[in-house]
Amino acid sequence: MTHADSAPGIDFEALTLKDALDLAVLIEEEARDRYEELAAQLLLHHNRDAARFFTRMVRVEELHRAALVEKREKLFGRQKPAVGRELLFEVEAPEYDAVRADMTERQALSTALQSERKAYRFFSSALEHVQHRDVKTLFTELCAEELEHIRLVQGELARLPEPGPLEATDVSDDPAPQ
Amino acid sequence: MGCGSLEASDFKSDLKPIWCPGCGDFGVLQALYRALAAVGRPPHEIAFISGIGCSSRIPGYTTAYGFNTVHGRALPIAQGVKLANPDLLVVVAGGDGDGFSIGGGHVAHAVRRNLDLTYLVMDNQVYGLTKGQLSPTSLKGLETVTSPLGSLEDPINPLLYVLAYGAGFVAQATPADMPGMAALIEEAIRYPGFSFVNIQSPCVTFGEEEQQLRAHKAKLKPLAKLHHDPSNPLAALDLARAYGRELYTGVFYRNPAPPQPYDALVRLRQAEQSKLATPRAQLLDTWLADGRGKR
Amino acid sequence: MRDDLILGMAGAGGDGVVSAGESLLKAATTLGYHAMMTKSFGSQIRGGESSCRLRLSTRKVLNPGGALDVLVALNWEDFLRFGAELPLSADTVVVYDEKAGPARTPVAARGLVLVPVPISALAKQAAGSEKAKTAVVLGLLSGWLDLPAPAVLKGLKQRFASKGEAVLTATEKAFTAGLAHAAANGWAAPKALEKPAADAGPKLLCDGNDMCAAGALFAGVKFFGGYPITPSTEVMQILSRELWKYGGAVLQAEDEIAGVGAAVGASFAGKKAMTATSGPGLDLKAELLGLATIAELPLVVVDVQRGGPSTGLPTKAEQSNLFAAAFSGHGDVLRPVLAPTGVADTFRLTVEAFNIAEQYQTPVLLLSDQEIAQRKKAIDVIDTSTLEVAERRVPTMAELAEKPYARFALTESGVSPISHPGLEGGTYLAAGIEHDEKGAPTSGGAMHAKMNRKRFAKLEPLAARADLFELTGNPAAPLGIVAWGSTAGVAREACRAAAARGLDVKLLVPYLLHPVADDVYASFFASLTAGLVVELSHQGQLYRLLRMFTDVPSSVRSLCRSGANPFSPAELLTRLVELKGVR
Repeated sequence: MTHADSAPGIDFEALTLKDALDLAVLIEEEARDRYEELAAQLLLHHNRDAARFFTRMVRVEELHRAALVEKREKLFGRQKPAVGRELLFEVEAPEYDAVRADMTERQALSTALQSERKAYRFFSSALEHVQHRDVKTLFTELCAEELEHIRLVQGELARLPEPGPLEATDVSDDPAPQ
Repeated sequence: MGCGSLEASDFKSDLKPIWCPGCGDFGVLQALYRALAAVGRPPHEIAFISGIGCSSRIPGYTTAYGFNTVHGRALPIAQGVKLANPDLLVVVAGGDGDGFSIGGGHVAHAVRRNLDLTYLVMDNQVYGLTKGQLSPTSLKGLETVTSPLGSLEDPINPLLYVLAYGAGFVAQATPADMPGMAALIEEAIRYPGFSFVNIQSPCVTFGEEEQQLRAHKAKLKPLAKLHHDPSNPLAALDLARAYGRELYTGVFYRNPAPPQPYDALVRLRQAEQSKLATPRAQLLDTWLADGRGKR
Repeated sequence: MRDDLILGMAGAGGDGVVSAGESLLKAATTLGYHAMMTKSFGSQIRGGESSCRLRLSTRKVLNPGGALDVLVALNWEDFLRFGAELPLSADTVVVYDEKAGPARTPVAARGLVLVPVPISALAKQAAGSEKAKTAVVLGLLSGWLDLPAPAVLKGLKQRFASKGEAVLTATEKAFTAGLAHAAANGWAAPKALEKPAADAGPKLLCDGNDMCAAGALFAGVKFFGGYPITPSTEVMQILSRELWKYGGAVLQAEDEIAGVGAAVGASFAGKKAMTATSGPGLDLKAELLGLATIAELPLVVVDVQRGGPSTGLPTKAEQSNLFAAAFSGHGDVLRPVLAPTGVADTFRLTVEAFNIAEQYQTPVLLLSDQEIAQRKKAIDVIDTSTLEVAERRVPTMAELAEKPYARFALTESGVSPISHPGLEGGTYLAAGIEHDEKGAPTSGGAMHAKMNRKRFAKLEPLAARADLFELTGNPAAPLGIVAWGSTAGVAREACRAAAARGLDVKLLVPYLLHPVADDVYASFFASLTAGLVVELSHQGQLYRLLRMFTDVPSSVRSLCRSGANPFSPAELLTRLVELKGVR
């Protein structure tokens, strides 16, 4: 997914710093909300491990969002944003298809990893189109941040204990007919 | 790029979807929130009607007036809603079994009446709620619990059927293309008349691996990129024949000159006939034996 | 001179005996008689046997009556096919077309007064065509029954008004020929009618289906969804013409399920909605009725009963849909069932059906039957000024602003205010799935039990509605009849005749059949040493329903038989006399 796939309505060549910051805020917000949804889905299906991880991701994305909001307010105060959530489609948010009821914590981490990679691709491909210097700087910073996140998640993945001989799918009941 | 007064989140209810994590319907719901926000009608002016099946749970996950009815009857019930109050925005949703098996007989009539409704079918080629039986859109040869030796019958082709019935708006979407799906649902809702969007929404629990969204992403072919002219009904029919083989997304057919929808004609008739209304106290005069009450 | 006369006419559909009957009915009504006409057909669409029976009286007509006083048979085969629907007595005068040949068994064997008339020949001679037979018949009847010729001729001419001058002239000539024949050939046993009271007042000429549609309009129906099915279709036909005038709409659906489905949708949208059907259609609608019950949506379902099961007897009356009306569909359901007993009260009961539906947010079954629905009758003008029209309880804006809306709130009465799309602050999820107070789906047993209790409790006040029962006669009488639907009219006349003979008898006519009003029946049965529950079904469905829900003493028996074999007042009277003997 590139910037053109997940934000087809945005003209990146005309993007101002204010709009770019707002966009970045919204991207974190979208990811936060999605992790919250996924955590709820998994909790509903009694997958506490994956739900716990996604709940952690909610907090992480919220921290990123808050940092961006602070930066935005420092520069532009409370000026009305010109961009909205309707312009974004799963930039950093994992896709719904990325989760399964019986996914392991390791798979949940992989999902997050893919999402961070997705976000990196978004900003790096957008970088080729943005014109304003300030926006270029911002997106370069964001690219670097996403790379940092990728490394963090990869590190966590490596620290996870090796999976045992039994997967959830090996032992779970058949689905219940309704 | 302004934001309207309504946002997608305004359409999200407190009920938590019971769908399996990974289900295609989550994407449909998200796209629908966006489409409804874009259309801009407040939730209380929307009636969202569904049948029975996993996907038919969808009205409850919105803040609109929802009616999760019985298996296969969402379309007639929705028509009653729209005729009773044409001011409402009426959206109908259900699965392939709901729409093309048990309720299949209603589709032709909903199309020919052409009320201003939008019908979203979440087509997953399987019965999910009852645990993986053959559905009307299952491919021939599919092995399921009710076709353990492989099905012997061809699937229904929803696109071809609805086009052949004469629908003015026929499209196909997949959650593998969220922006495309949200735009299509919005366009369908805005179409003045019966509009149909077949959504290839994979079943993560009972569906085939090659029908999951990852496969969709590799397979999907936007009709716009094929330079299909959606005002050409014959080209639409031809493309629709590929259902089950190709995953075309976008608008197959859009009537370039939509006729007045049925509910608009109903309003005209009511306005015209209202001049002939009799006061309640004199309603029975029509039956006076001496003929005085006859008009 | 007579004050009451029952006339039957039978012929091939092509003869037009039913149309002739309608002309006569119209004439009699404008002359001030009380009149009623029922019709019966073979199963052919066109040209099969058809018949009508008219009852003309200077007093109120309660039912089509028993044996005919006068029969007009245009041919024997067609007449004989109607069997018990056109019963003869020793006093019946049988007028027949000479062309049909000598009277056949069993008519010939009875020693009845036979009046052969060259009806076909007179028609040919006067009008130049045998097709004018029924005009000759009307001329004959006008003369023999002493019904003023100008009035009868006017009724006849109204029927042919659109057919042009030549047809009108020929018809009048045939009528005059019949009139002259009657004048020249008097009857040995005269059947002339007394003149009606001068101040009879204006009359409505209508059938049960007319009054059902009119009642629905009066109640404020805004949506009708249905599918053609005999003998209910006229309800849809009338509303298809009328409903638009009142801001409503009619949908002729693709099937019975879609018909009721659309009505359920319209009710969800906040409008008064109805459907009409007959037995086979009711079977198909069962699932949607369950939906309306659990989603607590007001809905009126008219079932004009015909013989069953399955296609059964599509053109004949039977009272065999009571079980289906009360019970069809799965789950624990308390579905109110109302039954009119005649043309006039169909109007009131239809309004009542809407009132109960709206007030208690429930589907209501209105059980009419073919005889009531298609019986044309001259009735007194209905005083609608005292009729109340109920509306559903919609939450107020203040209530909605006060706290989050709970559509299925567990209230003391069981009724919770119902919102509808378009109302801000009132959004909710209606569903066929069990739900909590706010409409959220649940599969919890505790909530399911609460909601079932709510859906039953809200209907409890119905059983106390004394106005939904008609009790006549001495309340302490030892003899009693319970009769419902079209059979009630026969029972009323029989009880009246019994009282005139000195029998101490009372009659209970329930308009509310379900839920069963335990107290009403208990107090009715208390004084009885012998009683009958009279109805037209093989099983005796009301009798069995009463046995299910109330204590029926062994002295109360079922008097029942299959449809298309209507009871006559004389027959019930005989049974009452027998009952007295039993004591």
